[in-house]
Amino acid sequence: MISMPPAFIDPGRLAIFAALADHLIPADHDMPSAGTVVNRQRIAFVLTSRPDLGDPLLAALRPELSHIPAARLATLATCEPEYLAALHLTVVAGYYSDADVRNRIGYPGQVARPVHALDFPAYVEEGLIDHVIARGPIWRNPAPPTGIGG
Amino acid sequence: MSIDTIIGLDVSRANQPADVLIIGAGASGGVVARRLAEAGMRVVCLEQGEWHDRSEYRGAELDWELTARQQWSPSPNIRALPEDYPVDDKRSDVSPLMFSGVGGSMLLFAGAWPRLLPSDFRVRSLDGVADDWPLSYEELRPYYERNDRQIGVSGLGGDPAYPAGAEPPLPPLPIGAGGMKVARAHSRLGWHWWPEPNAILSAAYQGRKPCVQRGTCMQGCGEGAKASTDLTHWPIAIKHGATLITGARVRRIETNPAGLATGATWLDSDGREHFQAANAVVVAANGVGTPRLLLLSSSSKHPDGLANSSGLVGKRLMMHPFANVTGLFDDELESWQGHFGCSIESFEFYETDERRGFVRGAKWGLAPTGGPVNAALPSRAGEQVWGADHHLHVRNRLGRGASWGLFGEDLPDEQNHVKLSKTATDSSGLPAPELHYSVSENSRRMLDFHIGKASESLVEAGAHTIEVDSLMRYSGWHLLGTARMGIDPSSSVVDKWNRAHDVANLYVVDGSCFVTSGGVNPTSTICALALRSADRMVDTRHELPVVW
Repeated sequence: MISMPPAFIDPGRLAIFAALADHLIPADHDMPSAGTVVNRQRIAFVLTSRPDLGDPLLAALRPELSHIPAARLATLATCEPEYLAALHLTVVAGYYSDADVRNRIGYPGQVARPVHALDFPAYVEEGLIDHVIARGPIWRNPAPPTGIGG
Repeated sequence: MSIDTIIGLDVSRANQPADVLIIGAGASGGVVARRLAEAGMRVVCLEQGEWHDRSEYRGAELDWELTARQQWSPSPNIRALPEDYPVDDKRSDVSPLMFSGVGGSMLLFAGAWPRLLPSDFRVRSLDGVADDWPLSYEELRPYYERNDRQIGVSGLGGDPAYPAGAEPPLPPLPIGAGGMKVARAHSRLGWHWWPEPNAILSAAYQGRKPCVQRGTCMQGCGEGAKASTDLTHWPIAIKHGATLITGARVRRIETNPAGLATGATWLDSDGREHFQAANAVVVAANGVGTPRLLLLSSSSKHPDGLANSSGLVGKRLMMHPFANVTGLFDDELESWQGHFGCSIESFEFYETDERRGFVRGAKWGLAPTGGPVNAALPSRAGEQVWGADHHLHVRNRLGRGASWGLFGEDLPDEQNHVKLSKTATDSSGLPAPELHYSVSENSRRMLDFHIGKASESLVEAGAHTIEVDSLMRYSGWHLLGTARMGIDPSSSVVDKWNRAHDVANLYVVDGSCFVTSGGVNPTSTICALALRSADRMVDTRHELPVVW
């Protein structure tokens, strides 16, 4: 993967990003705001994995758009949804890849949990397929081939 | 690792006439290659993609949900890799999904492994619509069972939705907390459910490791527990002498004045042209790539495309319109974990009941609901929450969902078709395929009925919220019907053994050959048909015309 240069986002755009991130995911419910979590390092993580997001993200953060987050987001939603999608994904992926955030939501990541295939299935023990077996075959016995359309 | 390293490729040998040239190294191509190579036939395969090592898959990494949306997207239009070809899907209700590489779309498929049901082969006889297949479930059953052993299928035998047969070779995978909730609900409702058979190992098998329930099957299986022919078939085919050339994009199948296939012209990744001679050609390039190639292979003898005297090459495209019904629960289900094939299935409403206002039916498959990025971004149903309530939104979703995927039977319609684009091309300049596909009124009524019933299932299971995606656009995994099988050459492209009516040494072995779609994931049937066809090729090898 290509590493994004550290100065990829200038301080002005970084400030706009932080304001937008805070607007989208503010601190509440014992969770930190995205503006504080998704710092330059987390943005770099996202853009290293997804270099294709760089250009649309920069476009979403361009200074000439409104500096009021709600107004900028509304403009992007109406006129440039692909830039908004890049912003959303960067904020969300940056936020939920943070170790503290993941800990707070109880998400350990996609961890390996070996299968114990020889364990007796709980659904069999609980009798949950008994009614299916008791009803018997439900497949429809087809008629012999007619050759129609064959 | 380069392909040369893996198979000791000798290009001069590869350019000698093959007994059989296979185009496409995915599910059906792999099955045919292994069978023919094991029988001692000289097999060469051209694959436009590459080998992928399991270390490339991101399922165990922090960025798995990011890369799943681009580098490992199932859409060739999103990935846009040089080995992909773009698909013009502007005139299609559903976007086609596929992957170019050794193992093909199996690298990113879910792994669900149901079979067609007996009635699926007799749709005309039973329901007066579409066409019957020229073979029956019972004729195909031995091939399903052989494939199950080659693939390594996990499941529970005795499902009353199917006729009796051999047990799957491996015990079923766990169904998870969500599966248990829904199973209890179906027990109360008296509805069918069963642990879904999956092409995913529940225990070590033939040198492969078992599933670790990471829930990222559709971004590539890092353990190699999910079957794909790069693991299950190609190493054996190569061991028996098959030659697999990757980075090889077939430009056209060539024919001689007698109209027989003589091999294929192909382009390497540097754009250099090559010719691979063969005494027979097998096309295994999926329900979009195969008709595209046949149409690209027109000649004076075959002016409307190869094997197209019926005019049906590219016609009758079926893609299984897919709806999704997700239930949200108060309980922690850890529904980001588990295999992504399907934990449980239901055939309760699969067979026709005309009182419902449509014919045929749909299989339901219960799947996990993804990680935090998936929970935070707009849902399949379009739900999104930003601001302070975003945190509650994510907590209500992450790990608390169970999702029924509804595959509705797609009846064949000649208006739904693949043709060559006049404007779009792939990276080699070859015309891209253009899809024309609309969801029929029968399918729409079918999906609406099943959405209602699936919602009932999840409410009974305790869901407090139901979210519905009534037609998922990016769901076109099942590319079927565009070179249909049949007895009559005027109304079908290939015969009951997958051999082209028009070209005695040409076979089509992928999902293109389907007569009707059924309402289930098709890969087990594609593989069974391919194995049956390969058996026939071996049995009749001395009857094949000698071209070289």
